[in-house]
Amino acid sequence: MNQQRPPPGSADATAPEESLEDLYENAPCGYLSFLPDGRIVRANQTLLTWTGYGREELMGQRFQDLLHVAGKIYYETHFAPLLRMQGFFHEVALDLVCKNQARMPVLVNATEREAPFGSDRFIRMTVFNAVDRRRYERELLAARKAADEASRELQALNATLEQRVQEEVQERIKAEEALRQAQKMEAIGQLTGGVAHDFNNLLTVIMGGLETIGRQLTNLPEGTDTGRMTRALNMAQQGAQRAATLTARLLAFARRQPLDPKPIEPNRLVSGLADLLQRTLGETISLETVSGAGLWKAQADPGELENALINLAINARDAMPAGGKLTIETSNAHLDEAYVEALAEPVPPGQYVQIAVSDTGFGMSEETLARIFEPFFTTKEAGKGTGLGLSQVYGFVRQTGGHIRVYSELGHGTTVKIYLPRYAGDTTAATGSLPLQSGPAYGGDETILVVEDHEDLRAYSCGVLRDLGYHVLEAGTGRSALEMLQASDKVDLLFTDVVLPDGMDGRQLADEAKRRRPGLKVLFTTGYTRNAIVHNGRLDPGVELIGKPFTFDELATKVRAILDRG
Amino acid sequence: MLDLEKPPVSVLRRNNVHVSGSGEKAMMFAHGFGCDQNMWRFVAPAFEDEFRVVLFDHVGAGGSDLSAFSHQKYATLDGYADDVIEIARELEVENGIFVGHSVSAMIGVLAARKAPELFEALVLIGPSPRYIDDADYVGGFSQAQIEELLEFLDSNHMGWSAAMAPVIVGNADRPELGEELTNSFCRTDPEIARHFARTTFMSDNRRDLADVPARSLILQCSEDVIAPKAVGEFVHKAMPNSTLVLMRASGHCPNLSAPDETIAAIKSFV
Repeated sequence: MNQQRPPPGSADATAPEESLEDLYENAPCGYLSFLPDGRIVRANQTLLTWTGYGREELMGQRFQDLLHVAGKIYYETHFAPLLRMQGFFHEVALDLVCKNQARMPVLVNATEREAPFGSDRFIRMTVFNAVDRRRYERELLAARKAADEASRELQALNATLEQRVQEEVQERIKAEEALRQAQKMEAIGQLTGGVAHDFNNLLTVIMGGLETIGRQLTNLPEGTDTGRMTRALNMAQQGAQRAATLTARLLAFARRQPLDPKPIEPNRLVSGLADLLQRTLGETISLETVSGAGLWKAQADPGELENALINLAINARDAMPAGGKLTIETSNAHLDEAYVEALAEPVPPGQYVQIAVSDTGFGMSEETLARIFEPFFTTKEAGKGTGLGLSQVYGFVRQTGGHIRVYSELGHGTTVKIYLPRYAGDTTAATGSLPLQSGPAYGGDETILVVEDHEDLRAYSCGVLRDLGYHVLEAGTGRSALEMLQASDKVDLLFTDVVLPDGMDGRQLADEAKRRRPGLKVLFTTGYTRNAIVHNGRLDPGVELIGKPFTFDELATKVRAILDRG
Repeated sequence: MLDLEKPPVSVLRRNNVHVSGSGEKAMMFAHGFGCDQNMWRFVAPAFEDEFRVVLFDHVGAGGSDLSAFSHQKYATLDGYADDVIEIARELEVENGIFVGHSVSAMIGVLAARKAPELFEALVLIGPSPRYIDDADYVGGFSQAQIEELLEFLDSNHMGWSAAMAPVIVGNADRPELGEELTNSFCRTDPEIARHFARTTFMSDNRRDLADVPARSLILQCSEDVIAPKAVGEFVHKAMPNSTLVLMRASGHCPNLSAPDETIAAIKSFV
C-alpha cells in the first residue's frame, strides 16, 4: 500500500504509521467517519476537542444528532440526498451542537467511500472550524442588507422625486402665501394703529374743546344764537363720537386697544345679547342660539366680545337681504398642536371656547375671504359699511390670544368661528379694575399731577380737572414730574400718559413715584396698549387706565372713584 | 380565460415533466422538499417495463420554470396538488399510481381527494400530515423548533445557497453517477426554498386523510428524523384503506439509501 511506503527523503523509516496517526488525530480540521445511516465509527482528537465529547460517547451516535433542528432537517432533505446522488458535497455550512450545548459553526466536506466497516460504503467527513468565517458572513449579509435597503430607498426616492419636489414647492408657496398674508396684516396694523393713535389724540382735544364750549354755553343767556350754537355743538359732538368709535375699531384691528379681559360665561353673554341681535337682524332673519353644555368660561373683554358679535351679526344680515337664519353656537374646543402649527398666525395649543356665528347668506369667494379682515375692505355699497367690522373682530380675537376662522361657500353661507382662550381661574373673581359707572360727575380738592407730553391734551386734561375743583400740577416728561413730586408736599393722584419722551415711560415714572410716595394713587391713560404697562394688550391686575379719547364725565368719574378707593 | 399578455406555459414544460416506460398504467413520482426528480433515479427505472413512468419537478425545484413560481399559489400544499392534477390530466392519466416522497405524499393525498379518477393507488414514502406536535399528536417537532428552522432560513442562507450549487466533479468511488444530474439536483433559489420550507413545515393535513378513495401504501423508515414512526402509524390509522410497511432503511430518503427495498415494497403493493 502506498501510504506505508516511507516518504522520499525520510530519515526515520520505522515511524511513518505513528506520524500518520498523529497527523490524523491532531490535524487542523476535524475528521469523522460514519455509516450511510449516520452512525459515527471514527472521529479524530481535533473534533473531540472542539465538541467536548469523549471518544466513546461519540461512537454509535449519528452525525445528525450533532446538528440542531434546522441542520437536521436540511441534512436529511438536502445534503444526505446530495451526498447519495453525487457521492460528495463540499463546503456545507452547519452548526455542530457541542456537548455543553454551545454551537460551533463549521464547514464540512463529505465523500462517500467504498470501504468496509461491516458495510459496503461509508462517509468520510472533513470538518473545518468556521467560527470566524461565519461572523464575517453575517457581517457581510448585514452590510449587503443595509446596502440593498439604501439602494431601495434611493430608488424609491428617485421614483417619487418629481412628485415630492412638486409637493414641496406647493407647500412652500402655501407657506409663503400665509407669511405674506400675516405680514400684510401686521403692516396694515402698524399703519392703522399709528394713524388712529394720532387721530385719537386730536379727537381728545376736539371733544374736550367741544365740552368746554358746552359748559360755557350754559353760562350764556339763552337766545337764538345760543340755540344754534347748542345744535351745532351737539352735531359736532355726535360726529366726534362717531369718529372716536371708528378709531376704536381701527385700534382694535391694530390690536392696540386697551382690553379688560375678564372671566366670562359666553352662553350668558350671548343670551343677554339676543334681543339686541334680533333687533339688528330685522324680522326676516331668525336667530337661533345653541348653547354648548358644560361650557367653560372664556377670558376676554366682554364689551369687545359683544361688539364683535354685533359686527358679525351685521355682516350676516347684509349677506341675507332676502332673509335667512343666523345661528350662534357655543362649544368647548381643543386646538391641538397639529392644528395650530398650520396657522399663519399661531396660537398656543390647548383649550378654547368656541363661538360660531353662521348665516345662510350668499357666502364669499376665496378672493374676498383672503381680504375680509383688512380695514376698509368692504363688499358693501359705498356708504353702507365702514370696512372695519370684521377688522375689529379680527383684532379683538387676536389681541385676546384667540383664533378666528372663517368658512364660507358661495351661495350657501358663512360661518365665523371665534376661539377664545379658556379662563384658567376657578371663580368669577373680577380683575382689580373698577367698573366705570356713568353718573353725575363730581370733583374734589385733592392734588393731581398730570403728566402728558402732548400739550393740547395736557391742557385739556388739566382744564377738566381744574373745572372739577382739583389742584393740578402738570409736567411734560417723567423726569420733570419726579422733580415736581419731590418739591410738592402733597400729591394724591398721578395721572400719566403711558408713552412719554426722554427715556422714562409712564410705568417707570409710576414705579419710581410709588417708591418715593408709597400709597400714591396712579391713573394711566393711553391711546393704545403696545407699551410697558399693558402686557399683550391686557391690563396689569390692579392698574387703573382710562383709554383715549375720554370724555369729561368719564375722566371725572374715574378720578373720583380712584381717589375714593380706600 | 386566456391571458393574452402572458401566454400559458405548457404544464409539461412548467414542471419539467419526463415520461418514459412502456406500460399502459401510469406511475407518477413526486419528489419532496429539497430535491428534484433525480431522486427517483435508483427507483423509477425498475418500473419502466410495466408502467408509463412520469417524473416531474415541483415549480421552484430542479428544471421547473421558476417564473411560474407564485408565493400566493404555493403558500399551501393545494397549489402543488393542483399542479399534479394538471400534469396527470395533460398526460391523460387514469387510475394511475402516485408515488410521493416526504411532503409530496400529502400533495398526492390532496390531489387524490380533488380528482379521484386519476389515481387508484398512492405510495406514500415518509408521509407526515403535520410536522409540529399538537396535544396528543406527535409530529416530531415542537412549535419552537419549526420557528427556529424558519428563522434560521430567514437569517442565514449564504453558506447553504453556496452548497446548493455543488462543483461537478466525478467521484471515483461512485462511477455510476453521471455529471449531468448534479447540475440541478438540490439546487434551489434560496428564497423559494425558504417559502417551500414554510409551506411544508407549517402544513396540517390530518383532516384530509380520512376519506381518500385510493388505497395507500405507507413506507415508514426507521430512524426518520423528519417523519418519525409515530407519524407513519398515525397516517395508517387515519387512512381507511392503507398498508403500513416499516422499512429496515434508516433516514428520510429510502429511495436513495435503500432503493432495492423501496422497489420491492412498491412492487408487492402494486
